[in-house]
Amino acid sequence: MTNEASSTVVTEVACPFCGLACDDLSVDTAGEALAVVGGGCAKAQAGFARLGVSHDGASARVGGQPASLEAACAEVARRVKASAQPVFAGMALDVGGMREVMELADAAGGVVDHLYSEIGWRSTRVVQDVGYVTTTLAEVKNRADLIVLVGTDVVSKASRFFERYVWNDEAMFEPAPAARRIVYLGGGLNTAAGQSPDGRAADVFDFDRARMPEALSTLNALLAKQPVSEAAPLGIELARWQALVEALRAAKYSVLVWMAGDFEPAQVDLNINAIMSAVRALNVTTRSNGLGLGGADGELNASMVHAWQTGYPMRTSFASGIPLYDPVHNGTARLVEQGETDTVVWISALNDKTPPPPEAKVVIAPPTLKLEHEPEVFIPVSTPGVHHVGHFFRGDKGAALPLRALRATRLPSAAKVAAAITAQLKEVSA
Amino acid sequence: MSVIKLTGGRVIDPANGINDQVRDIYVKDGRIVAALADGDKVSAEYNVSGRVVMSGAIDMHTHIGGGKVNIAREMLPEDHRGDPVARTEVTRSSCGYCAPGTLAAGYRYAEMGYTSCFEPAIIPMNARQAHMEMGDTPIVDTGGYAMLGSDDFLLRMLVANEDQKSINDYVAWILHSTQTLGIKVVNPGGISAFKFNQRKLDLDEQNAYYGVTPRRIIQTLTRAVHELGVPHPLHVHASNLGVAGNVDTTLATMEAAEGRPIHLTHIQFHSYGTEGDRKFSSGAARIAEAINRHKNVSADVGQVLFGQTVTASGDNMSQYRNAAFASPKKSAVMDIEMEAGCGVVPFKYKDQNFVNALQWAIGLEIFLMVEDPWRIFLTTDHPNGAPFTTYPHLIKLLTDRSFRNAMLDTINPDAKAMSNLAALEREYSLYEIAIMTRAAPARILGLTDRGHLAPGAAADIVVYTENADRERMFEKPDLVFKDGELVVRDGKVVKVVRGNTHVVKPEFDRSIEKKIEPYFRRFHSVRMNNFKISDDELCECGGGSKLIPHACGKRS
Repeated sequence: MTNEASSTVVTEVACPFCGLACDDLSVDTAGEALAVVGGGCAKAQAGFARLGVSHDGASARVGGQPASLEAACAEVARRVKASAQPVFAGMALDVGGMREVMELADAAGGVVDHLYSEIGWRSTRVVQDVGYVTTTLAEVKNRADLIVLVGTDVVSKASRFFERYVWNDEAMFEPAPAARRIVYLGGGLNTAAGQSPDGRAADVFDFDRARMPEALSTLNALLAKQPVSEAAPLGIELARWQALVEALRAAKYSVLVWMAGDFEPAQVDLNINAIMSAVRALNVTTRSNGLGLGGADGELNASMVHAWQTGYPMRTSFASGIPLYDPVHNGTARLVEQGETDTVVWISALNDKTPPPPEAKVVIAPPTLKLEHEPEVFIPVSTPGVHHVGHFFRGDKGAALPLRALRATRLPSAAKVAAAITAQLKEVSA
Repeated sequence: MSVIKLTGGRVIDPANGINDQVRDIYVKDGRIVAALADGDKVSAEYNVSGRVVMSGAIDMHTHIGGGKVNIAREMLPEDHRGDPVARTEVTRSSCGYCAPGTLAAGYRYAEMGYTSCFEPAIIPMNARQAHMEMGDTPIVDTGGYAMLGSDDFLLRMLVANEDQKSINDYVAWILHSTQTLGIKVVNPGGISAFKFNQRKLDLDEQNAYYGVTPRRIIQTLTRAVHELGVPHPLHVHASNLGVAGNVDTTLATMEAAEGRPIHLTHIQFHSYGTEGDRKFSSGAARIAEAINRHKNVSADVGQVLFGQTVTASGDNMSQYRNAAFASPKKSAVMDIEMEAGCGVVPFKYKDQNFVNALQWAIGLEIFLMVEDPWRIFLTTDHPNGAPFTTYPHLIKLLTDRSFRNAMLDTINPDAKAMSNLAALEREYSLYEIAIMTRAAPARILGLTDRGHLAPGAAADIVVYTENADRERMFEKPDLVFKDGELVVRDGKVVKVVRGNTHVVKPEFDRSIEKKIEPYFRRFHSVRMNNFKISDDELCECGGGSKLIPHACGKRS
């Protein structure tokens, strides 16, 4: 909402540059690039500045030569049609972009894989194995009395977590936010943000984070009132572990926070399962919840749309005409490595920093993306929340935020490009 | 211009009192017309003589969109493998049995002759997602009911003893902001109570923090919905879901409405007594008697049918308890955004399990003992009692007593002995089936141009070949038209169209935002202006769905 018609500053803008999707940004649209003038963070400022230009002069390329959008889309359709197994990777998109790519992938008999799926499928396995007990950010803001950060500091990836949801001026229920207790499990984390406004340092269990399964096993054993033989598990006195368990039992609404991407990949489902085990044990007598944060680069936009349209989580193949879910088999890196795909199509409208794999023959991305190799087809696209409206799922699954159009551009959206390729593909097939 | 003629069909159109009369039906540009004007040229004629013609069916309570359904999808790949939907020239691929993808759900509903489906549990903060999922549910019209009653804003208003007018303004603001068609309350106040570690909340029990009782929430919200003139009465998922003895709570909940319209949803799950050796018995007779007596009360059944399904509910207090019975053994329980929560628990109803078998019988008893088909609705609470694809089977159970009794003979014998089902002779007629699946849901939702076949109605039309086996008849219609377009032939989708979104927009005093805006800034995770869904945004969420607002006749 613009408060004054004459102002060039747009307020209450939602940010698509990390999973927190803060929606209190003020963005000045006067300059050549968009400038965050209120409510942002470094990542938001950089993202709006870098992508928030009109991209004048950017053009599609086929074989390194300028091409019309139509010709480039037709070329992608031709390649996808001729492909034995296309893979649609990247997927840093808004909801609208993902919707259209899904239709394309189905028509093309492809595989869809987000750049974080290697972690994401392991997280999803937890809900398929045992399920979960979780909460969302507004609940944390008003209810949390004890917050345990498991192997993450959150702020390295989502810098405003404490500012927006922990150290608030007020909360609806007891305790006052400043009295909240913060515990970090794991060493090497940036724990400064966990210090309370009145200077109380957080309680840090400093150990090698690769040993998180042992730490969580210790907690679960103590919660189950089972003996723990070591005097100092992971070099930390048993009494401290015991005190943490007592604090969790005494808390009225404890929250155990993780970011799956901060765990060792091979430990993701193991660790989340262990967190859920602790949460379930605590809920027998009090309330305790998990809070998995993620969602950067449209991770949840991709996984949500994929699940609701097809019924399956990501890493599903449409090659046989029906969806087949196999997250181990259908990873881009594995398919490339084993020579099981001949065409990688990289589509990313929100992320212009992660380079596509060298095998990507087609790249559909912002023109600011630096490419190490010229792909066979490059189509520059606009960015949701910068150039066009859209929707973005926050990393706690608690909300989908509306994204604004703040800067005019002649570039098409990823959704429009995907739809054009699908239309061409159907024409080629007909 | 498109002009269609359906010639010689046996029309069953209860909203207009037409019971099996041979009539021609004319459709012009998606609407039913009385006759053709001079110069109108029929572009397609369908000879349907001897066949049964009804309006498109309406499912007034089906969990087809929103966060909890998507959790169920992610949770159950093993459910989906056996039920793929293959890509065709006109349809996309999808899959799923009890928690199908939106594409599979839309195709399957249309293939059964359903043309409108309503998601009954939209958490206001999750309304965008629900509309997006419904927008990706092809062919059928959609809409939803916004969940209130455990939201801290309303509970704070009740504690502050704010006047009814302010509460009505808030309720109307929620309907506008979430683009919904009605208001639902789930375990009134109980979802909030669970966050304060209460594990049950009876109708007159206080929320530990707010001191507010479920009864007060029901009184306040039935009044708000009534005074705002929202056509659909307050949609109530009552307290104590699934608990033996909850029939008393349910009867008391009816009384709590104080004579105002109230709709009790999936009432089968709320009709349990405590008689017998196992302290679990049917309360159906008492429930049916009360519905028959209270003309302000309507209900949908939430029939249980045997087999694998998944239960997905906003009632996380109950679902946390039910997680002990999960099959397969997994469950997801969430507290959500100071508004509500959800719980997803897979469940397998077994015909040899005493409780499950009696649940099956209780649902059927309620169907057969409630006299007025305009006030009892055919639902399985998809997917909670069974997936919606079981509706043809359920229709056969209602219309065919010998089939019903043959099924009854196969269930757990102790459950059979506890049920009076064998003695119930009633068999629903086709006319009554058309009431409970078409005319009545349209009327109770205020959809004036759906659920009937009079001139002016939207041309949502279904043609069946009559078959004494009603399951065969209703699972595969010959023809289905959606807004005048032929979308299904011989039970298969032949054309995919986009359905409309139905909403209500009651009048209210917009100055209520002066109270709501600071609340969002202080306590919520988003700004108020990013919470509200505008008309333009709704259409975008719906992938281009047309917005159909329905009139409200303000009563205060």
